[in-house]
Amino acid sequence: MTAPALDLRAVARAYGGGRTLFGARPVVRAVDGVTLALPQGRTLGIVGESGSGKSTLGRLALGLETPDAGHVTAFGAPMPAPGTPAWRALRRRMQMVFQDPLGALDRRIPVADQVAEPLAIHGIGAPAERRARALDALAAVGLSAAQGGRYPHELSGGQRQRVVIARALITDPDVLVCDEPVSALDVSIQAQVVNLLIDLKAARGLAMVFISHDLRVVRQIADRVAVMYLGRIVEEGAAEAVLRDPRHPYTRALVSAAPAPGRHRRERVILSGEPPNPAARPAGCAFHPRCPVAVARCRSEAPALEPAPDGHATACHRVTPAAERAA
Amino acid sequence: MTVLPASRPVAAPRRATAPWFVRLAFGWVALVLLVALTADLIAPHPYTAMSLANRLVPPFQNLAHPLGTDELGRDVLSRLVVSVRISLLIAFGATVISAVIGTVLGFLAAHFRGWVEQAVLTLADFQAAMPFLILALSVLAFFGNALWLLVGLMGLYGWERYARVARGLAISATAQGYAAAVAQLGATPSRVYLRHILPNIASTLIVSMTLVFPEVILVESGLSFLGLGVQPPMTSLGNMVGYGRDYITRAPWIMLSPALVIVFTTLAVSVVGDWLRDRLDPTLG
Amino acid sequence: MLRYLAVRAFRAAVTIALVVTFAFVVLRMSGDPAILIMGPEVPPEALAAFRRAWGLDQPIWVQYVRYFGAILNGDLGMSMRDNRPAIEMVAERIPATLALTVPALVLKLAVGIPLGVWAALHQGTGFDRAVMVAAVFGFAIPSFVLALVLVLVFSVDLGWLPSGGQGTVAHMILPVLTLGLGGAAALARFTRSAMLEVLGRPYIRTASAKGLPWAAVVRGHALPNAAIPTVTLVGFLVGSLIAGAVVVESVFSWPGVGRMLVVAVASRDLAIVQCILLLVAATMVTSNLVVDVLYGVLDPRLRHGARAAA
Repeated sequence: MTAPALDLRAVARAYGGGRTLFGARPVVRAVDGVTLALPQGRTLGIVGESGSGKSTLGRLALGLETPDAGHVTAFGAPMPAPGTPAWRALRRRMQMVFQDPLGALDRRIPVADQVAEPLAIHGIGAPAERRARALDALAAVGLSAAQGGRYPHELSGGQRQRVVIARALITDPDVLVCDEPVSALDVSIQAQVVNLLIDLKAARGLAMVFISHDLRVVRQIADRVAVMYLGRIVEEGAAEAVLRDPRHPYTRALVSAAPAPGRHRRERVILSGEPPNPAARPAGCAFHPRCPVAVARCRSEAPALEPAPDGHATACHRVTPAAERAA
Repeated sequence: MTVLPASRPVAAPRRATAPWFVRLAFGWVALVLLVALTADLIAPHPYTAMSLANRLVPPFQNLAHPLGTDELGRDVLSRLVVSVRISLLIAFGATVISAVIGTVLGFLAAHFRGWVEQAVLTLADFQAAMPFLILALSVLAFFGNALWLLVGLMGLYGWERYARVARGLAISATAQGYAAAVAQLGATPSRVYLRHILPNIASTLIVSMTLVFPEVILVESGLSFLGLGVQPPMTSLGNMVGYGRDYITRAPWIMLSPALVIVFTTLAVSVVGDWLRDRLDPTLG
Repeated sequence: MLRYLAVRAFRAAVTIALVVTFAFVVLRMSGDPAILIMGPEVPPEALAAFRRAWGLDQPIWVQYVRYFGAILNGDLGMSMRDNRPAIEMVAERIPATLALTVPALVLKLAVGIPLGVWAALHQGTGFDRAVMVAAVFGFAIPSFVLALVLVLVFSVDLGWLPSGGQGTVAHMILPVLTLGLGGAAALARFTRSAMLEVLGRPYIRTASAKGLPWAAVVRGHALPNAAIPTVTLVGFLVGSLIAGAVVVESVFSWPGVGRMLVVAVASRDLAIVQCILLLVAATMVTSNLVVDVLYGVLDPRLRHGARAAA
């Protein structure tokens, strides 16, 4: 069996803390003990509200940040430290698509040149060949050579995101991390870009981490889904299973809030209480202040992520694992 | 402190014509540049040529010496033309040096953060707080005044302003946006800074240069006026004013023509700089 | 507030230390002090003895520490030309410099601030434009040109005032005017823009919308807030009193610290130069500290430490 493309073991990342000249800063535990594996060629969706730590998890998985605790392994080898030559060389195999394509592009350079830039960075091919490959990459995302000669601000939002995708894929990477790649786009454009990503990953055998707050999009593209709440994974399993039959109360609330076609209309679970604040993480299960089924134990003891025999794991005291149910 | 969002929309090229005084300023700058470039062709006499028969000729009286002559019978126009060349050369050299030093230090501060950044900022504060003339005078006292030293010394003038601008813009570019994206593609820091950040902040740096340039002319002419800058037989605008001061009662024209050139040139460059700033980068101080 | 002041005082000390280091580095880089002082024709044994006597054979960091210690003790070396303590000679010249720069500072404040405020309150009028044009010219005309033009008009043409030297009040008029006019222009321009910025803020519009008389809005809200940035510039002007006097004292042959510096630089009297360098740094740093304290008084947010990082 080949090593997974990415393997995260109990990674944690906190921001802030320490004393400044003018008082203590609060510690924000953005990611708090997450274990995940991304097999080659598969797609993992990560969902959660803003502040759940899903973007930080994406940056940790790519090696853009170093975890405070835990390990990240890429293709069976430890992730090199950011900025080192080994890290830079590895960028060829793992790329990223950003939420804001306009911010991710240099507004003074024609987009075809920006698409060709990873080839120049990694010393691939002669200049003329790079140019040709950039045009091929643009064609693969549905952009013409004429559009390649334009500047970012002369393109539409969807076209810009296609440019970013073309740039990310030109080095034939094995892993692509997409951080909210469509949430800044018009709804009408979102489906096109998502379909493009689905086609590309199928054609190239890409492993993909797809970060989004939009369950419909994740359901379309992901093989497996991890649901994050305040830095921890509360539920993880096959995408279809998690989104059709959510077990964690938080996931149930998320799923009920996002009506999907062809699904029975069930009663909506309304989340009550304060929206989550990563700087003030509640004791016990972090979700208990908003949980409709919380009991006393939830206030004091944090539940562990326990897998059921069907591979569907949940971190909740109120969810009886299927094994116990069967016994 | 100027921190700009990294993805500022490109200033749309407006076709509005500049006000008359800005056009006049551009015209004067062009004239002065032309004079500096063609000084050898324009100067009617060698600038050191003395003519004891024609000493202290007033301006507009002798066709051979339209701006008159000085105590040694040297042609004021010829000296003025050569002075313009020397003064501009020093000011250009110094402005470029200080822009390079400041930008590099600003980038270093933005890239390494931590103690490097603190050191650069402390040096910048120090440079901004100490009157430059005093620092320059002390260095000249210790090292003497060769022309290259003068240019190098003047090249320290104003670096802290470029450093602050470059640091602020580079930090906002690396924190989010295109610079972070390119670094994430595996680009080396030098590629990120030179190929991406530098072209993006070039217009801001150029505006800063046009704002610093007239101040460099003023400091250089001040030093030369005091006899501590450009040394005879070489001549510069400040030098000519300093020399003419001794003849202010008998031959005020010796000192007036270079003085006017200094005033008009600093005025024109700062008008152009202000105008460029308003058009390209209204956020600069 | 206390912590804020402590941070500022620390920065001030760092600045002074930087100046001392600057002087040390420049001094050592400029050549072998033994040869510099004894002359190049002295036999090598004498040079070696001199080096031993002055600790110049010690490692450079030992020399640096000793140099620092000497300066902390007020020992700034002897003038090479007069063989007297440099600090004494410089101190003798300070009153003459103050006699010019203090009236000039008063002139700058008395002219610059009212002009700036008035121009801001009457933005776009002919008066405002005149102030702006004067300010631009004030920047572009170097002080030595202004000085010479004043001499040309008032001494050479009209014969009203002496063109140099000291003694009577008449001797002071031209140098004080030269120093004051340029600074007044800069101050007017700065005050005007500080005032305009404050006048554009929402709380000014609110105060005037509440029905407060305009004069009361200006007195009670606009002026105190515009004073904050202006204080910084005034602090800078106070700190650069000596530096500004260099050129003007030279033009008018005024026996102050500035002229002394030019003469010392021309004759390479290093002890004097170093002493004046430190004096300038000290005034600069002190006035900056005073400005910081004033900031605390003027800006209540700072007093409560909420914005101390600014």
